[in-house]
Amino acid sequence: MDSGQVAEALPAAVETPGPRRSRSLYPALLVVCSLTGWEAGVAFFRIPPYLLPPPSRLLLKIVAEWQRILLHSWMTLQVVLVGFLLGAVFSIVLAASLLRFRGLADALYPLLVSSQTIPKVAIAPLLVVWFGFGPTPKVLVAFLVCFFPIVIDTLTGLKSVPQEVIWLARSMGARGWDTLLKIRIPAALPNIFAGLKVASTLAVVGAVVGEFVGSDRGLGYLLIQANGTMDVQLDFSVLIVLSLMGVLLFAALELLERACLPWHISQRVAHGESRR
Amino acid sequence: MLDVRAITKRYWTKGGPLVALDGVSLSLVRGEFLAIVGPSGCGKSTLLMGIAGLDAPSAGEVRVAGRLVAGAVTDVGIVFQRDVLLDWRNALDNVLLQVEMRRLRREDYLGRARHLMQMVKLAGFEDRYPFELSGGMRQRVAICRALIHDPPLLLMDEPFGALDALTREQMIVELHRIWQDTGKSVVFVTHDIREAVFLADRVLVMTPRPGRIAATVTVDLPRPRNLAMREGDGFSRCVGRIREIFEQYGVLEKA
Repeated sequence: MDSGQVAEALPAAVETPGPRRSRSLYPALLVVCSLTGWEAGVAFFRIPPYLLPPPSRLLLKIVAEWQRILLHSWMTLQVVLVGFLLGAVFSIVLAASLLRFRGLADALYPLLVSSQTIPKVAIAPLLVVWFGFGPTPKVLVAFLVCFFPIVIDTLTGLKSVPQEVIWLARSMGARGWDTLLKIRIPAALPNIFAGLKVASTLAVVGAVVGEFVGSDRGLGYLLIQANGTMDVQLDFSVLIVLSLMGVLLFAALELLERACLPWHISQRVAHGESRR
Repeated sequence: MLDVRAITKRYWTKGGPLVALDGVSLSLVRGEFLAIVGPSGCGKSTLLMGIAGLDAPSAGEVRVAGRLVAGAVTDVGIVFQRDVLLDWRNALDNVLLQVEMRRLRREDYLGRARHLMQMVKLAGFEDRYPFELSGGMRQRVAICRALIHDPPLLLMDEPFGALDALTREQMIVELHRIWQDTGKSVVFVTHDIREAVFLADRVLVMTPRPGRIAATVTVDLPRPRNLAMREGDGFSRCVGRIREIFEQYGVLEKA
């Protein structure tokens, strides 16, 4: 290396390990404080357990019924995953098609947007009528609820490639496919992940909504049961498990994002800092 | 090598038609280094994109190596003002993008890519990502990318415009060296008169919008050139002539 290179060489910019450790401390601390406050509040104000069960009771309930809860969680999880994956694949393909075929985009876009305003709770019974009581209507509800943010975010990402890059690709004689696969989609990955993360939580909601209508399994079904028998503790327990499911899915996507996008500025720079 | 005949580029804006280029003609001989110098907005980038077949002119024709340009020209290497490297590929892979997009075998060009990076003094940085490289280094990667498929023609649109003055000096010396070693035909667009005179055989002086070629200044300084020549009389005379033309057109104020 000559002097010119030494002068220009920059250290690779990565997050230092120190701050990361304390970053997971904050949410953990908040959860512990909230649970403690909840427990203390229930005891102090003498709230009856059939109105607001304290965390200790819920823990006991979950432990006591763990097999039942696990079984139904697994049912719901399958629905969530299939609906989400369907949504992901469908949305990315749709977004790429909308980009390529402008006429399709003009025709389909208003339809897409208006479809989102229809409450899926209303559609779910219809889907049961059409597809029976199996997993299909639930997967479809999860899919319908979660695909839209992925389409919009993916389309934005695909369109956001600078003009010079496209010109460069054309001057290289690149075919449409290659430009899409090698340039547009990798460039859109940060946006796609944003859409996927939002969609993951929606997929959980969708699966549960699907299970409300005509189901004999899953956490949605458990919720209906709990409400029917006024089993508030079961109610809360299921809600906790559902949140956990959503959080885990989201976290899994964040891990995947970190693995796929080490080069992107969102992964390189810690909040508030400014590095290259 | 290159024959541009009376190309005109018109844009339609809210205020009416805007003429970016007005009947611009030029020609380039094989192996020649041609600089186009002009103020911002004079259409020099539009001219270059018209030559590249990326931004079709409203009238006139362009011929590259005798063939009429009707779409994107692929037997060319382009360097833009922004380095346009792909952030998710390392330096070597960015250079090899040129090869991959042409559906050529990567393995066949690996050696050449490494050699080019060595030539621009980036040996050892092949696995670095763009965010780990400075502006000058990224632009050098872009130059390698423009050379790897050995095109006869290089189009450069203010490639050093985004760099600081010190890096720019290094880069024009390197570019001169690369051109001497490879013998390519180059069209080099810049707003920097001294840069143009240092590098080129001929300098085309463009007027502000609508862009026309005001004059052609031949630079008859000996080759190979070195930075010391910039203090010499020959150099000053060329720069002076170009400045005179710009003063005539109101681009520069009379000194």
